[in-house]
Amino acid sequence: MPDLSTGVVVIGGGSTGAGVLRDLAMRGIDAVLVEKGDLASGTTGRSHGLLHSGGRYCVNDLQAAIECVEEGRILRKIARTTIEDTGGYFVSVTDEDREWEPRFVEGCRQAGITCERISVEEARRREPALSRHVRTAFWLPEDGHLDPFFLVLANTESARRRGARVMTYTEVVGFSRAGDRVTGVRLRDVMSGAETAIACQAVINATGAWSGLVARLLGVEVRVVPVKGVMVVLSHRLAHAAINRCHKPGDGDIVVPALSVAILGTTSAKVPHPEVLPIEWDEVRRMIEEGALMLDGVTTARAMRAYAGVRPLYDLGAEAEGREMSRNFAVIDHEVRDGVKGLTSIVGGKVTTYRLMAERVVDLVARRLGVGNPCTTADVPISDHDDSLDQLRHRPAQLGVPKPHSGEHPLEPLLCECEMVRPRDAAPWFADPAVRTLEDVRRRTRAGMGPCQAAICSYRLAARLVTDRGLDGSQATRAMADFLETRWRGVRHVFWGSQLRQAQVGTGLQMELFNLDRQLAIDGDRPETREPRLPSRRPVPAEARG
Amino acid sequence: MMTEDFEPVTDTVEEQAPVEACTKCTACNTVCPVARNTEIFRGPKLLGPESERFRIPQEPSVVAGLDLCSGCKLCEVTCPSQVSIQTYIRRAQNKGARERGRTLRDFLLGHTRLLGTFGSLTAPLANLGNRNPLLRWFMERFVGIHRKRPLPRYQFLTFERWHRRHPRPVRARRKVAYFYGCWVNYNERRLGEMVVAILERNGIEVVVPRQQCCGIPAVVNSNTDLARKYGVQNVRLLAPLAGEMDIVASSTSCGLMLKHDYSHLLDIPGAEPLGARTYDICEYLWMLHEAKELDLDFQPVPMRVLYHAPCHLKSHGIGYPAMRLLRLVPGVKVEEVDEGCCGISGTFGVKVEKYDLSMKIGSRLFAAVKAAGSDAVLADCETCRMQVEHGAGASSAHPVEILARAYGYR
Repeated sequence: MPDLSTGVVVIGGGSTGAGVLRDLAMRGIDAVLVEKGDLASGTTGRSHGLLHSGGRYCVNDLQAAIECVEEGRILRKIARTTIEDTGGYFVSVTDEDREWEPRFVEGCRQAGITCERISVEEARRREPALSRHVRTAFWLPEDGHLDPFFLVLANTESARRRGARVMTYTEVVGFSRAGDRVTGVRLRDVMSGAETAIACQAVINATGAWSGLVARLLGVEVRVVPVKGVMVVLSHRLAHAAINRCHKPGDGDIVVPALSVAILGTTSAKVPHPEVLPIEWDEVRRMIEEGALMLDGVTTARAMRAYAGVRPLYDLGAEAEGREMSRNFAVIDHEVRDGVKGLTSIVGGKVTTYRLMAERVVDLVARRLGVGNPCTTADVPISDHDDSLDQLRHRPAQLGVPKPHSGEHPLEPLLCECEMVRPRDAAPWFADPAVRTLEDVRRRTRAGMGPCQAAICSYRLAARLVTDRGLDGSQATRAMADFLETRWRGVRHVFWGSQLRQAQVGTGLQMELFNLDRQLAIDGDRPETREPRLPSRRPVPAEARG
Repeated sequence: MMTEDFEPVTDTVEEQAPVEACTKCTACNTVCPVARNTEIFRGPKLLGPESERFRIPQEPSVVAGLDLCSGCKLCEVTCPSQVSIQTYIRRAQNKGARERGRTLRDFLLGHTRLLGTFGSLTAPLANLGNRNPLLRWFMERFVGIHRKRPLPRYQFLTFERWHRRHPRPVRARRKVAYFYGCWVNYNERRLGEMVVAILERNGIEVVVPRQQCCGIPAVVNSNTDLARKYGVQNVRLLAPLAGEMDIVASSTSCGLMLKHDYSHLLDIPGAEPLGARTYDICEYLWMLHEAKELDLDFQPVPMRVLYHAPCHLKSHGIGYPAMRLLRLVPGVKVEEVDEGCCGISGTFGVKVEKYDLSMKIGSRLFAAVKAAGSDAVLADCETCRMQVEHGAGASSAHPVEILARAYGYR
């Protein structure tokens, strides 16, 4: 017996899944989103956050570029709260780059991308950090920073307001079928292990790089190629616009200013499994060396962490049939292709075009369900909130103005000082049952994302688990250790200079002052850890890897 | 390939580290006199390196809370990573003031020479006015100077004019240039006279070059632009001398500007060699002693004195040479009152909204001074002396006054 019955089950809580959920909800189709980790904990949350103007694709992939142009303009209208309108520069540093320029200009013209050639002096006046190697510069005002997490959250919240449901930390373990039709999904809560079932009329597989793994549960093949990209996070914005190399897209040729940090990206390497994303020192070094060609200060800035994401590249050659036409993403109608009714996959694509992807797949599914309502996601703003990203960027301004004259009004102490997170910023999330771990709190507040990488805020957040959630001391200690471990996984790749010294301060605090590892052993949580050690060797649970 | 090989640097502790070097250890907040005494100040860590990450040159500055930083620089002294905390705070403050305009009070407090010239020309009147309750009420109401704060007395004869009539010594082993600063010039000429007397007693000719305000009052009143202008003038006036002789300053803060802040905070070209030859007066005298050139023919001075080390002296990184010198003088019993910042921090404690805080910061020092009892409290910094007199009711003096007395100077 199913525990729940709905119209459509959307699998995958990244930008595509969230966009699909909102689109369904806006067309009046009852839907449930299931995600095995937290929202945006996979590909979306690990993107570099560049809102593409299309300049990057305009030479080699005109169709993708045109989609970026259109979708970028739509997102600026509907998702203003998740975008920093930074603009971007395309800069040439080598002779080969100079040869690329005419093709780039022509590509921009064909794709309709606003592109203005400016003198290097003018570019340097606006962005003093541009390196001495820069020889020419183009200004593309439609580049920007799209915060992937807030985008997903805004979409799911919008969908929820329209009656959709979201289940995180819920893994699909199987499907129920009636003949050649999928009639429901079987789910397991990855934390409690509890199993549930949902009956539905259709399933949309929006799991990106995991699409093949999910489809295999139904004996269907979806050939996605997981391609790893490594990114390095620097501790502050070196430039205030996105900086791109004006050349054939390659490794390490983008620097994205993302709120308080700069993200250097990225590499490209096939991996066997979307959750096997090793980060090599050579890749980290490569990002820094390439970034330094475009911007001064990249080598001396503090690298805070490195992370790897996985692109869901779709193998077009073998599966040309059964997909709607589009160069960079594909809707796979498994009813036509594999004779499995009720299952549709959406693969490929990029965060910038998530809305269009959702529109295309929901068009197909709605038609099958006999729902004729048109897509309205391009017109209705996702959130009517204030400009939340702007608030994040201007956090120092919100810390309260001290008024010495009006007596002592103590200022609210901060939970996370690096990212200036106040208790009131975090309180709603501690009250939200969908927020299961401190990592989830981090995604929603940015606590722990600053230079100290949770060395200081982790214990304050853990204390909130006791006061706000009624956890006992050992549970909160466990949660704190888990949180530190996820931070540690990124930090350990950049152990030199300031971040190495930072890690020593953090380790001293946690291991010596708090006696964290011993405490875990005393609490009986990890009987195997009788010897002091650094918090990195515990096998990483799949949901945290996300 | 044109990329340059990147090799990670493991030793990043430099004399002046970038903002990235902050490891959030919070040592700065624990020594900050303001943060220790009020709940409304977020402390140097947050206002310095933490906020610096969010400061975007192309966007307006956020200045909320910055003015509560008194500029004592203890945070920088304490920072184990050598982060230039003050530089970030002062630059942000200056940018904010540039965007929003400066208040009359900050303008006046930053222009010490203007005030000094006016004050000394009208000395008897100005001093009377500064003690007139009605006038002080008006000053508090319309300028923002707290009425209870005693203001420095101006004197008609400035040090500059006194020195012009001062006869040159006949025979001298060395020459030094004296950076007397606004305080000596307009308010305490006697201190300058004593510095000259002591140096001449030791066979040193004192050159008094033309000079501008060092700029520290402008720095702490949201105007590093003005301070830089002053600094550039001083470097132009003094750097040629620095090729030939040492420069001494009798004010801790003026000395610190010349030594350190011209090159580090204000980025003034050519300031490094000037800074390298600048000494605090007591530091210089102690060096003379170490070179066995200091005349030790002291008369006994039977006094029990307390020594308060100014915060900016700690920034010099020279220890307490005044204490060492005073121990050479027979009869002097000197004890340190180690109770931290006195609270005035130059013009900080003068301001109406900060007076109470300034007195609260100094309360530990005042209590200790009162409890210990003494003939005088010695401090190298003029505003520390003002604060100790005001807060503890004790008499105060610059350490060189004791030396001058030991040399028989009256």
